This record gives sequence, structure tokens and C-alpha cells, in this order.
Amino acid sequence: MISALLLLVYVFAGPNAKARAQDAQALVEAAVNYYRGKASTATVDMTVHRPNWERTLTITAWTKGRKDSVFVIVAPPKDRGNGTLKRGSEMWMYNPKVNRVIKLPPSMMSQAWMGSDFSNNDLAKSDSIIEDYTNTILTTEIQDEKKVYVIKCVPRPEAPVVWGMQKLKIREDHILLSEEFYDEDLKLVKAMTGHEIQMLGGKLMPKVWKMQKADVKDEYTVLDYRELTFKEDLPDSFFTLTWLRNPRR
Amino acid sequence: MSLDVKMAWRNVWRNPRRSVLTMLAIAFASLLLVFMLSWQFGSYDTMINSAVTIHTGHLQVQAKGYNDTGDIRLVVPNPAAIAGILEKTRGIAAYTFRADAFSLVTSKERTYGAMVIGIDPAREAGVSTFKELIRQGSYLSAGDIDQALVGELLAKNLQVGLGDELVVLGQGRDGSIAATVAKVKGIFSSGQEDFDRSTIHIPLTYFQDVYTMHGAVHEVVALCESLGDVPEMKRAVAAGIRNLSKDDHQLVVLDWMELIPGLIEGIKMDLVSGFIFYIILIVVVAFSILNTFLMAIFERTREYGVLLAVGITPWRLTKLILIESSSITVVGVVMGIIAGSLITWYFQVHGIIISGAAEVLRQYGLPERMFPQLSVLSVTIGPALVLVITLLTALYPALKVRRLRPVEALASV
Repeated sequence: MISALLLLVYVFAGPNAKARAQDAQALVEAAVNYYRGKASTATVDMTVHRPNWERTLTITAWTKGRKDSVFVIVAPPKDRGNGTLKRGSEMWMYNPKVNRVIKLPPSMMSQAWMGSDFSNNDLAKSDSIIEDYTNTILTTEIQDEKKVYVIKCVPRPEAPVVWGMQKLKIREDHILLSEEFYDEDLKLVKAMTGHEIQMLGGKLMPKVWKMQKADVKDEYTVLDYRELTFKEDLPDSFFTLTWLRNPRR
Repeated sequence: MSLDVKMAWRNVWRNPRRSVLTMLAIAFASLLLVFMLSWQFGSYDTMINSAVTIHTGHLQVQAKGYNDTGDIRLVVPNPAAIAGILEKTRGIAAYTFRADAFSLVTSKERTYGAMVIGIDPAREAGVSTFKELIRQGSYLSAGDIDQALVGELLAKNLQVGLGDELVVLGQGRDGSIAATVAKVKGIFSSGQEDFDRSTIHIPLTYFQDVYTMHGAVHEVVALCESLGDVPEMKRAVAAGIRNLSKDDHQLVVLDWMELIPGLIEGIKMDLVSGFIFYIILIVVVAFSILNTFLMAIFERTREYGVLLAVGITPWRLTKLILIESSSITVVGVVMGIIAGSLITWYFQVHGIIISGAAEVLRQYGLPERMFPQLSVLSVTIGPALVLVITLLTALYPALKVRRLRPVEALASV
């Protein structure tokens, strides 16, 4: 969930929060709130890697709350100005060359976003892990002297999700370390892992995220935060089609 | 004519009704087999030809792996070199270039995912029937740029008509975002729902520009002069590619069986189920013939007793009966072949309309009118099987006769 990565605010749980016995649901919610926060702006390099081929895009992202995000490509120049607006589970794309906004139909939600290993769904449903899944703690392990919870997320029967199961690793200070996506046969499809945990926007965050497909070794997408700022709030006008057409950065 | 043959032939006509009925049973089985096999072979030809000419062609040159993944980066970088090979290969009737990209296609209100196909308007018309599928508006012409041909079902889904604008949003070969606005110039309907619901066609040069193809294409599509030439042409083109520069070594030649594997699978399945039916038919015919032959012998026990009493050897008696039954069989089979060929030939000329099946046929891209196809194979396989099995059946009564004892045989009624 890219928006997960793109948004962080430190709201509920501080770094010193005691690792109390929390139930899994609260833990997942805390983690989502930790990385999304109230609102944020970020600049991210997205590198899509394929055998014999690689391409990097630079993206500016604005997020607000758990549901709204805007991503706009700033480099390379050829793709500059292309943007995606996500509100709730709906998405729109804007292309400056043809000056049109396209609303993504539901049938396209499982397609790759900008040719990456992230699907449109990954972007649009960033908080679905809280609403659509039943979460249970599988086990805990110790990593870098910190407790890490392994959480199994099984979709609720009526939930509109494509995965059969997800597994999250959340550190005791609510940092999401990895997210694994399983299909309906509970076979691993792809996995996202966080790397280089450091201070970003005033709190500890993985700086680099890697989305790796399970069946192909040499195909992955890396997100590298250049810059991340958490805000108390962003105006609603940022999350509109007008802003998508003409974001003032 | 030797005495035996003369006797056997007379015996055939001693009970004309029974012999004629037996002949007719054999003839009918042969006729049915000739017609059914011709029909099957004919429909396969129709299926293959229509499938091949709607889109895939007999042969395609592609980058290795493109057929499975559809990855836009797997290209034929230098289509002119492939064209050079095809020009030099005798037996290639026509060829064209295509490029494909899965993209979002949007009208004012609606968005659908669709395959955007870049075609060379003039060459395409030589390879596929696509030009004739245009139902509204007109086909692309040489100078067209931002014009698109849209499948009928897609046009309906998008709610667009001629002259309306479509926004196309996809990803180019270099990973950049490909976007353009094209006008609907024509609407096509192939009858193949998938094709009509999920493709739009734009001029190849325009495609190459929008998707940053740098002159590359995804498929070089070739049509051979006849279906039988395909394997040979495939070898020739593959050999030509091996002689090209290093960059082009990643290219492969695929034939229609690899391009539409479902088609050949369907044909194989149909053949197998057809053969099961034929075997059952032949077995039924064989039993009825066995019955007739056996009856004939039981009825004529006294006659055989007389023959044995006057000194005929059992072997000669067997031979006599075998000649008799082969005459009946051969006459029946020949009648079957002649009648079957005539009937098949009639339908081969006039075609058969399968009423009510048009909808199903259209899904497979087949015309409503089907034509059986007479060939040496379709005319001979079935009757030959009938002949062999009937003769084998006739062996049993013919050998049974040898166990007759003259005195007992004479005593029977």
C-alpha cells in the first residue's frame, strides 16, 4: 500500500509507547495511523526494475487522513504532470498531454499502477487492512532488540478484496516492517518490505520500500523517500480533480 | 470368370431381398462415414481459415516470450529486415506489421481496458479480413493519424459513435505514459465477442509515435498461399532470421497452432469424439451383417450338405461363401462411396445452413453456411474400415461351415 508509505503522521502512539499487550486489531490500526498520520507531503523516487530494464519516476504525494491521496509525477520531464487522485476507494488519473481526467473503472483496479508492481488497488485500499480484515497475532519475534508482531489478516467474508490472506510484521513501536500478500490458495504473490529505518518527517520510518513479486526474482519496485513532512492538516482542495489538473507545489 | 465366382454371384441373387438389404446397410454406413468425415474436415478448414484470416495469420514473427507475456518491451526492432525475408520466401501470400498495447480507453463518461492495436492499413487488408468487418464509418486510409476503429461491443459499452473522441491512456515501450485522443472513424464487428469487446485499431505509425516504439513492432503477420505450406514456410522464415544480425536473434516464428492453441485442441477433441461415434456405427453395422450371414448359412445347411455329399471340399465351400460375402460387401461399399460422394459434393457446392446454430458458430468466428470438403482421405477412410470389419465378420460363418457333416446337414430342413 503505497499510500501507506507515502503518508505518515505521528498521532496516537509515540516512540516511547509501552508495548502493552495489545490486541492485533489495535496494533494494525496503530501502525496505519503511525505511517499515515493526519496529513503529509512527500517526495518519493519510484524505481521499477525488470530484467535488462529499469526506470525511475519522481513523485510528489499529498495525503490526508486514511482515505485521500494525490500523487503527481515530477520527473522525468516526459511524464511530468501525470497524476493520480484517490478518494475512498475511487481513483482518477490525469494526463497533461491530452488534458483529460480518467476515472478508473472497477475492472482496472487490479492493474499495475504506472507499470510498477503496485496495483491500483494497493493504492486505493490503503486502509482496507483495518476495515476488511480480521487480524490475529500469529507470533512475536525479536529483531534489533525490539519485539516484532507477526499478524495474520484474513479478509472478512463480504469484504471486496482480492487477497486470500495478508501477513504483517509490526514492530512494538508501531513501525510496519513488511506486508505479504497471499492469493486465495494462500500462496505468496508478492511482498513489500521496509528498509533503512531512520528519522523521517520527525519520526522513525523505513526510508526504502521494496515490492517484490514472489515468482520472479528480478522484478521489483522500490520506493525511496527523498523527503517526508507530516502536517496537522491539508486543505480539502488538494484532493479534488481541479488540484489534480493543476497542482501548485 | 471361374466357376466359384459364378456360383457365388448366383448365390447372392438367390435371395435378392436379403442381399440388397445387407448391401444397403453397408452402403448406408459407408455413405454416412464419407459425409461425416468430409463434413468434419471441411469444417476444420473453415474454422482454421476464418480464425487465421480474422486476426492471427498463418505465421507470426515476434520477440521470444511476447506471445505469453504481451510485454510491450519485447519487440521486433527492425521490421524491415523481416519484411526482406518474407519478400524473398516464395509461398508467402502477404504480410503486415502490428503493435499492441493494453490501455485504458475512455469516452466522455466511461472507461474500459482494451487492447490498442496499431495496424498498417494497406498491408492489413491483404492479410486479414479486418477491412470487411467495418460495419459503420470507414476503414483507415494511408494518411490517417489520430483515427481509430472500435469494436462494436466496445463502442456500445463506451457509448461512442462515429466522430466521437476517445482518450487512450497506457504505457509506452520506454515505460513513459502514453496518452492520446483519437476520433472514432469506423466501428467493426467480427462476431468474435472478445475481439469486438476489447480491441481498438489505430494506424501503426500513430501507435509507434504515441507508445514511443522507435519504429519497432510486436508482430510481423504473414499469410501463406495454402494451409499445407505453413510448416515449410515456418522453417524458411526461421532460417532467414538466423542469418540476420545479433539483435534479431531473439525473434521466433510461431505458426497458427501456437498462436491459437485452443483451435487445434478443439479440432483434436472433435476428431476423437467423431471417431468414437464412427466405431460404434461400424460395430453396429458389423453385427447386423454377421446376423445376415449367419442366417443365410443356417437356412442353407441342406444345400451345403448336398454340395459336400457330391464331393466339394470344405475349403472350397469356405471360399465360395467368402466370395459371396465379399461381393455383397464390395457392392455395398462402392454404392456407399458413390452415393456419399454425390451427396457430399452437392453440399460442398451449395453449403449447409445450420439453422439455430448461427449464434454458436459466430462465437467461433465461423460463417453460418458450412461446406463439407471431399478429399481422398475423407472418401476412403470410412468405407475402408467398413470393408475390413465386414470381411472379418464374414470369416466366422465361412469357417463354421467347415464343421458341417454331410449326412447331418442333409437331414436338416
